[in-house]
Amino acid sequence: MHCAQLALLLVPAFSWAQNASCSEQETIAQLVQQMKQLQQQDRDLQERVKILEAKQPQASTLPDAVPASPTAPQQCAEETAPPPAPEAPAHDWHEVRGIQWRGFGEVDYQVLNQRQPETGTGGFVPGSAGNFYTGDFGLFLTSRLTNKASVLSEIVFEEGDAQSYKVDLRRMLLKYDYNDHLKMSFGRYQTNIGYYNWAFRSAAWLQTTADRPLVMEYASNGGLLPTQAIGVSVTGAIPSGKLGLNYVAEYGSSDTIRPDISGDGLLTDENNGNQTNVGLFARPDELRGLQIGGSYYHDQISNNVLNALSGAQVAPPPGTPGASARYGQTIVNAYAVYVAHGIEFLNEGFLIRHALVGSSLRFDTPAFYSQFSKQFGPVRPFFRYQYVNASPNNGIYDDIGLRFGPSFGARYDLNDYIAFKAQLDHTVRRGEPDLNGLQLQLAFTF
Amino acid sequence: MGVKSTATLLVLGLATLSLAPPATAQADDVAVVVSSRNPATNISLGELRKMFAGTKRSWPGGQPVKLVTRGPGCPERLVLLKLLAMSEIEYKQYWTGQVFRGEADAEPLTVPSVGMQKEALTVFPWAISLVNVREVKPGMKVIKVDSLLPGASGYPLH
Repeated sequence: MHCAQLALLLVPAFSWAQNASCSEQETIAQLVQQMKQLQQQDRDLQERVKILEAKQPQASTLPDAVPASPTAPQQCAEETAPPPAPEAPAHDWHEVRGIQWRGFGEVDYQVLNQRQPETGTGGFVPGSAGNFYTGDFGLFLTSRLTNKASVLSEIVFEEGDAQSYKVDLRRMLLKYDYNDHLKMSFGRYQTNIGYYNWAFRSAAWLQTTADRPLVMEYASNGGLLPTQAIGVSVTGAIPSGKLGLNYVAEYGSSDTIRPDISGDGLLTDENNGNQTNVGLFARPDELRGLQIGGSYYHDQISNNVLNALSGAQVAPPPGTPGASARYGQTIVNAYAVYVAHGIEFLNEGFLIRHALVGSSLRFDTPAFYSQFSKQFGPVRPFFRYQYVNASPNNGIYDDIGLRFGPSFGARYDLNDYIAFKAQLDHTVRRGEPDLNGLQLQLAFTF
Repeated sequence: MGVKSTATLLVLGLATLSLAPPATAQADDVAVVVSSRNPATNISLGELRKMFAGTKRSWPGGQPVKLVTRGPGCPERLVLLKLLAMSEIEYKQYWTGQVFRGEADAEPLTVPSVGMQKEALTVFPWAISLVNVREVKPGMKVIKVDSLLPGASGYPLH
């Protein structure tokens, strides 16, 4: 096309050179006139574009975010195709009237070498007792209110027993970013205890593995930590040069009910008091992908055991304090992660202390996980090892006990939106037979 | 082919000649460009990386940063991935994660041409983008990276 145009451009130029009757000055004058006309047309068009933009709502003035096609990745436009015509801009399909939306979901298949189902990670069938389940299906909405304020919500449909579903407003935040040093969120947030809870949120699609490490599992699935709270969360960068220091400070109510993962039909209503969580992490400029951090969390909880079906209070195990007893819960976390150059290397350690108020009785629960994976094209093989050791005398974690073991498998990204994961687990349990499991998962985002 | 089209090509040809980079510029250097209304003149490589990773979200004056990128396969995209030490898959997953984490409202705006990059810089005065130095257009303000302009010895983006 351009060659033809150039040829047409050159032909009249040669003709002009050979035509002695046409004066140079007349031709130049004509060209100058045409240039002026083109410049005027350009100005008119720009004016029209400005007028049209002014008539549109602010959010829809985005100039043509082009979503990547799942089947044909977008190529560099100059090399393959002309830019789209300005009168038909590509639409940002994740935005409707200023509200950005995303969705995620998963479909899972799991088999275990035991009949007794458990919830949470480490051997577990959330929801129905069959092998198939759907995990979390989430809708994620954000809307910018001003240059500094925005709203974020994450609505999750969780599978319960017998194909029943419940709605969980997992996050609902009014966010205000004053600057990079002061970013505030008010509402229901995920506690910034450790790295995993911050990095992966609810979406299975984000995770390399099919499930979360037990210690980072959601409390509603039997996880150990108070993963969510309602209150205020403040974070930001600390001027620290190439060290890249950031802080986190949170204060809120993290009242948590966690089911026993042993599948005994009991719940622990922790009746948490207000929680305080502070943390620091560094992302050094010199070591791209490295993040090192830690956090300190404190609140008070009870060991109020309930029957999951009736809600009736159940007497705590003999020899343990009653439901009215309060424990100081302190969670210390440290982590070092490296995510760059196709490598994902996550390492987190926890010490969870439950100290009976007014007594010297205390229980320490150490836990850690380490996960390594490497991207090879669309395939990412992974290996994870996790460990949790709760005292058998700790009535709060009496369903956890000692658990450790490896998981390995691979994630295969079918395209930008769908991932297939296969994972094998081997879990050693104190006083119980070892547990072997296979998980297959289709995780997607849209 | 009308006279106007011929004249348009002539104008474009002249404009291209006038935009030829300095003789010292490396052909594969990628310039960091902002709107001419943006007072920034220099950015450190670390800050640039943080901006394109979405962890530095405001300019020194507090204005929110708007990221404008080219699509997969473009030289500018390859430089961006090199800057972030990510593959294309990781980049997409990273930004989906940033949105889910609430660290960003949306993925960076991806445009298919330099012309649209220029338009984006007009519409979003606090936008920042990467452009091959040979394709820098009038209206794009090239800022230094670690006090170096494209073509200078030691310029990091290429």
